[in-house]
Amino acid sequence: MRTIPIIVGILLILAATFAAEQSSAGTSPELAAMLDAKDKDGKPIITQEQRTYFNGLNDNLKELLNQVVQKKVVTRPEHLGLLLALQLRPQKMELVLQNNCILCHSDSETQSSEDLFTLGSDSHHSPPSHMNLKEIVEDTHFRRGLSCAGCHGGDPTAAFGHAFVKEWPESGRQANREWIVQFCARCHSDPTFMHQFNPALPTDQLAKFKSSPHGLTLLEKHDSRAPQCISCHGVHGIRPAKDPQSKVYAQRVPETCGACHANATTMAGFTRADGSPLPTTQLAEYRTSVHGRALLERGDLGAPACNTCHGNHAASPPGVAGVSRSCSLCHSANASLFDGSKHKQAFDSHNWPECGKCHGDHAIAKTHDSMLSSAPGALCGDCHRQYAKDDPKCIPTADYFHQTITRMDEAQTRFGAISEKLAAKGLDVEPINNQLTDLTDNLKKSRTYVHSFSRDTFQQVALPGEEAIQRTDTLVDKAHEEYKYRQVGLAASIALIGFLILAIYLKLRQLEK
Amino acid sequence: MGWYYLGGITMFFFIVQVVTGVLLLMYFQPGEATAYESIRFLTTKVPFGWLIRSVHSWSAHLMIISLVLHMFSTMMLKAYRPPRELTWVSGYILFLLTLGFGFSGYLLPWNKLAFFATTVGTNIVRSVPLIGDWLLQVLRGGQDVTINTLYRFFAAHVVILPLAFVGVISLHLLFIQRQGMALPISAKVAPRGMKFFPSFALRDVLLWLACLMLLVTLAVFLPYGPGIPGMDWELGSKADAMAPAYAGIKPEWYFLWEYQLLKEFPPHFFGLEGPQVCLLLITVLLAIWAIIPWLDQRARRDKPSPAFSDFGWAAILFLTYLTLMGWDIGASGPGNDLALVHRSARVCASWTLVAGAVVIAIRYWRFEHRWFVLTGAALLQMALHGFVGVSYLLAGVISVVIAAIAITASYFMRSRADEKGGI
Repeated sequence: MRTIPIIVGILLILAATFAAEQSSAGTSPELAAMLDAKDKDGKPIITQEQRTYFNGLNDNLKELLNQVVQKKVVTRPEHLGLLLALQLRPQKMELVLQNNCILCHSDSETQSSEDLFTLGSDSHHSPPSHMNLKEIVEDTHFRRGLSCAGCHGGDPTAAFGHAFVKEWPESGRQANREWIVQFCARCHSDPTFMHQFNPALPTDQLAKFKSSPHGLTLLEKHDSRAPQCISCHGVHGIRPAKDPQSKVYAQRVPETCGACHANATTMAGFTRADGSPLPTTQLAEYRTSVHGRALLERGDLGAPACNTCHGNHAASPPGVAGVSRSCSLCHSANASLFDGSKHKQAFDSHNWPECGKCHGDHAIAKTHDSMLSSAPGALCGDCHRQYAKDDPKCIPTADYFHQTITRMDEAQTRFGAISEKLAAKGLDVEPINNQLTDLTDNLKKSRTYVHSFSRDTFQQVALPGEEAIQRTDTLVDKAHEEYKYRQVGLAASIALIGFLILAIYLKLRQLEK
Repeated sequence: MGWYYLGGITMFFFIVQVVTGVLLLMYFQPGEATAYESIRFLTTKVPFGWLIRSVHSWSAHLMIISLVLHMFSTMMLKAYRPPRELTWVSGYILFLLTLGFGFSGYLLPWNKLAFFATTVGTNIVRSVPLIGDWLLQVLRGGQDVTINTLYRFFAAHVVILPLAFVGVISLHLLFIQRQGMALPISAKVAPRGMKFFPSFALRDVLLWLACLMLLVTLAVFLPYGPGIPGMDWELGSKADAMAPAYAGIKPEWYFLWEYQLLKEFPPHFFGLEGPQVCLLLITVLLAIWAIIPWLDQRARRDKPSPAFSDFGWAAILFLTYLTLMGWDIGASGPGNDLALVHRSARVCASWTLVAGAVVIAIRYWRFEHRWFVLTGAALLQMALHGFVGVSYLLAGVISVVIAAIAITASYFMRSRADEKGGI
């Protein structure tokens, strides 16, 4: 009889041991105490979310946490909570837990507010962007193992190691920013070094920068208002250009450039080549332009941002000749037609920026067929009356372009509506729609071929468009005839049936009299 | 007397279906790459092909309308009284076969709308207990709606259903021929009968010609239907199993009440699946409809049976309310989905209550009916659902309970009155 209590006792002891093993697996008593710590109100310091994240960590990371606690690098549950709140992926967490720089500089008890990394989740005490811990761990350099010591020097595994690298200016680095480009270039201009990390990344940024107005202003005129690497890329939170949160992501480029170029105070004193002051309206104009709306409102990443036309590290005004080359990167058909046209020579002789003369630069608006008109106020007419009075062919040609394109556009709208109506009546509109596709195609081409400014070249695409109009007209007439035929047929059938009904009715009356 | 011609009109539309169906069959090629294309070719290139398809579609809908009217008129006139029970049952089978024609023919053009509507429609049989999955496979010829489904729907539409229909309609006509037309209960003495030939037959022909006139006019002016959801046969684009099903897909108008009733059931209902319970309810309702000649004991004794007349009207209002809601009548304007559903229920309830009030008034004054318990219950359910906001099922239960109490009370009151009269 005694054996039963003994067996039950052994089982209870085993169960308790097993339970204890389960609760403390991979967690030292110090760490466990920190995880369970409560504040003076009795509330747990480590939140449920942080606890869940901790429970999901692998054994290696739990061991690393044990070590930083045992080595007294992390001594307070609040500090531990901050690290867990980052919710990092295992690879990044491992980097953080092996980096004494971050571990020390994230402890609010030992660091002054100037040297403290915080999460910045509290809107009242948000840190300067370069001291935001979330930004630091997201930095593309950090992800690849290049952390604080890579730029600042020292040994991240040592308890204390504040030996700055020799290129790091001890003083005056805020006033004179020239050192920054050289500092970044230590790695970014070294193809062998960069190949280890990203073989596709160019290493000519410094050379390009030096040749740019930005570089010349900074390095030759020693004017630190000019931007350098961190002005556009940021400091601790540098991300690849393809990352939507990067300051140089296509949709953020206008805002990044505009930070200086739309600021009249910053731009005060800067001039163009002709000596006129540099305007600060570009960003506002760009936002209203067809390109700005495509990129910023529709999210079309194929639309150009500032750097598409001006360049990145070698950013500069495109110049008169460069305008058409920039535009032709996308609008190649228009550009090649223009290059073969009479306008090319005329524009060159006036030293006009080719595309920009008619379409503008930052505020490029959606084109309209009325631009081709010879009427007063229209682009073609006004310009030709002023600059090409002697050529009697110009105005009629512009009128021909305008009339032909307007006719095709009007026909496209009209036939589209007719096709819908005919389809609702049950008629076969497929042939009409096929012709409409041809017409639409030729209309688009005609609008492009206007840039040849030649009647003959324009007619190569306009004439097939006009033929499509004629064919559609014939098909629409046929469809209307078919519908009429149906109605006549129906009327005849109804008359016949009506006659039969009448005859039967009369017969019935006669029978039942 | 006009009600007596509805059966003939239904048969006329059936004949039109056979004739136009045979003409369509000359061009239709069932198959993945040919079904849609052959119908497209027929309607765009073949002379009068559009007309044949349009007449076939219009005639199908008009046949169902006249068939439903025929059934309700038979029910209201109690023409199912002995010895005509089997005429009613054979007519009932013809009604089911006609719905089968509608459902199977709908898929044949193999267009997107038909494909998804058939997917949703066939899915309902999954709720049949025990054999649901097997039945679904039999119906679809596989797990999903594929070209195999079209093959079997085609076989059903042009061979199985027509053979069955011709067989049953022959019986139906034979019964009518042997037993003659039924007289209303109110006609105490049989009026001098009209000779079937030539008087009745010529009148039939006259009406058939009028129907033909209506049919061709509709077919020419509205070749794709009146544009009402569930009554629209524009070919559209070809069926594509990979394309996303579009939202708000609805069945044909005559299946709309079932669709709406299914929507009113919760996913789970007293341990059973909601659709299963709904299907059971529909089966019970249809079964009651089938055996009405035996249920209506007073009519069997040639006595007026106001409860069954009232049952017919209540059924009409019940179906009308569900169909209107299925059409989303009144579900427009601002607001979220739930607000629109409530608004639709309110608008549909308003319309149906007005119709119900008119029906009751006409029955009261014109036909001197005095029994409105079931119609009242149907209207009460709509009012509770549409205006008070009670769920459709709860409103139904409340109405049925009140109707049951009213019927029981009236039964006891009548029994007591009979006893007093006896003393």
